[in-house]
Amino acid sequence: MNIHLRTAFDSIKRSPFQALSAIFVLTITFFVATVLSILVYSSGKIIKHFETRPQVIAFLKDETSPEQISALQQRLSGDSRVKDIKYVSKEEALAIYKEATSDNPLLSELVSPSIFPASIEFSLVDLNFAETVIAEMRGEAIVDQVGFTANIGSQTALGDVVSRLRTITFYLRVGGGVLVGVLATTSFLVLIVIIGMRMTARRSEVEILNLIGATPGFIRSPILLEALIYALVGVIVGWLVTLILTLYATPSVVAYFGEIPVLPKDTLSFLAIFGIILAGELFVGTALAFLGSLLAVSRVKHAR
Amino acid sequence: MIKLKNVTKKFGDITALSDVSFEVDKGEFVFITGPSGAGKTTILKLILREVHPDSGEIIFDGQNLTEIPEKEIPQVRQKIGVVFQDFKVLSERTLRENVEVALAVAGIPQAEWKARVDKILELVGLEKRAELFPSQLSGGELERVSLARALVVNPKLILADEPTGNLDWDTADTIMELFEKINKEGKTIIMATHNREIIAKLKKRVIKLSGGKIVNNHEHSS
Repeated sequence: MNIHLRTAFDSIKRSPFQALSAIFVLTITFFVATVLSILVYSSGKIIKHFETRPQVIAFLKDETSPEQISALQQRLSGDSRVKDIKYVSKEEALAIYKEATSDNPLLSELVSPSIFPASIEFSLVDLNFAETVIAEMRGEAIVDQVGFTANIGSQTALGDVVSRLRTITFYLRVGGGVLVGVLATTSFLVLIVIIGMRMTARRSEVEILNLIGATPGFIRSPILLEALIYALVGVIVGWLVTLILTLYATPSVVAYFGEIPVLPKDTLSFLAIFGIILAGELFVGTALAFLGSLLAVSRVKHAR
Repeated sequence: MIKLKNVTKKFGDITALSDVSFEVDKGEFVFITGPSGAGKTTILKLILREVHPDSGEIIFDGQNLTEIPEKEIPQVRQKIGVVFQDFKVLSERTLRENVEVALAVAGIPQAEWKARVDKILELVGLEKRAELFPSQLSGGELERVSLARALVVNPKLILADEPTGNLDWDTADTIMELFEKINKEGKTIIMATHNREIIAKLKKRVIKLSGGKIVNNHEHSS
């Protein structure tokens, strides 16, 4: 084993409770950070889900020709506020109706395609455009009526849902960020205190190493490695606990939210998200260890 | 090998060394002697760049030590093996690890460590105590650990500060035999001591200090 790594492990073995307290604080920090990252991801997905479902339905007049429909579709395609444009014919509208009323066949037997208007459905890039776009659609000669996401309710209801979700996500991000910031600062301070204590305990060793020609880098290496061990163990344990809890909760979460993709359904995407979070946390953990140990070493040096 | 030119060093109002000049050639064994406070240890500290002279020059291995920047000091120290009166061994490391630390500091590949440590421990007669901790060794053995650590990196110069100061006569004699053996192998040694019996026995060049000045610099004549 590398001499610096051996020195770092020896140091941990000599004061196990200091090591445990550092690892414990770091684990809590990264556990909370991982949970918040997943919550932010899921809330983002919920907002996106509501924002991207077909929001505007333009019902067309019966006498509308295919050329006129095609012209309107093309115009909408060129509009940057609009996306996911879809034409629904009378027959398709009937099929949708039949599927929706499948539990009561009597209702579907009484209707024919002619009573359903053809329509053009589309989503908006941002709900703030809703009012303008709906007004423009009402002005189209071939459009009879304009509906706004009947499944959810009125325009105001959907706006409310999305705006409430946005507010929750905003507070989740800000509150979570502050909480993670406070925890990260606490971890950083604990790391500095423990490394400072290590440096003080190693003072005579440092003096001897200096006299036999050790470079500052050589002297710092075991301290840095020790801090890295704390940080990496904290990151991995915190992340792993969240992964296990999420895996455990996934069936219930997916069942509760139904079609809303709060968590990725395929394993690869699920692992990719956790992989990205782990990579980010490893980076932050390494930075904390580097900065903490450098600061502690320089403070002890100046205090001499 | 090493040359001091008009070196002066003061600690506050106290003059530790005043206009000291001498030269030590490669392969020489030189004693620096004198009463306590004469400046023996200060000379060793100056060579190690633990302290900086107020004036004068110290040339070692072609380098003026008074001019080298702070960051180059470790490289200079790696060329010098130091044996301390208070041993300065790492108390929480085994004897083998104490010697290995010097190899690690000098950047010697880990694959070479075992052979080099075994060889040096055999030279100082501690091969059977390699896995013991300093607290399990006697004063003489600790001095030999300090010597083994100094020698294992094959330094150009060995500085010894009162290496027999804490030892009984028999142990001191054994240690001095080791120094003599090492010197015969071509190593340059500068030893600060006030032990007249040792100086008399080894019959080497003696630089005598008093009040921070050289009062005598001669080959030993019994």
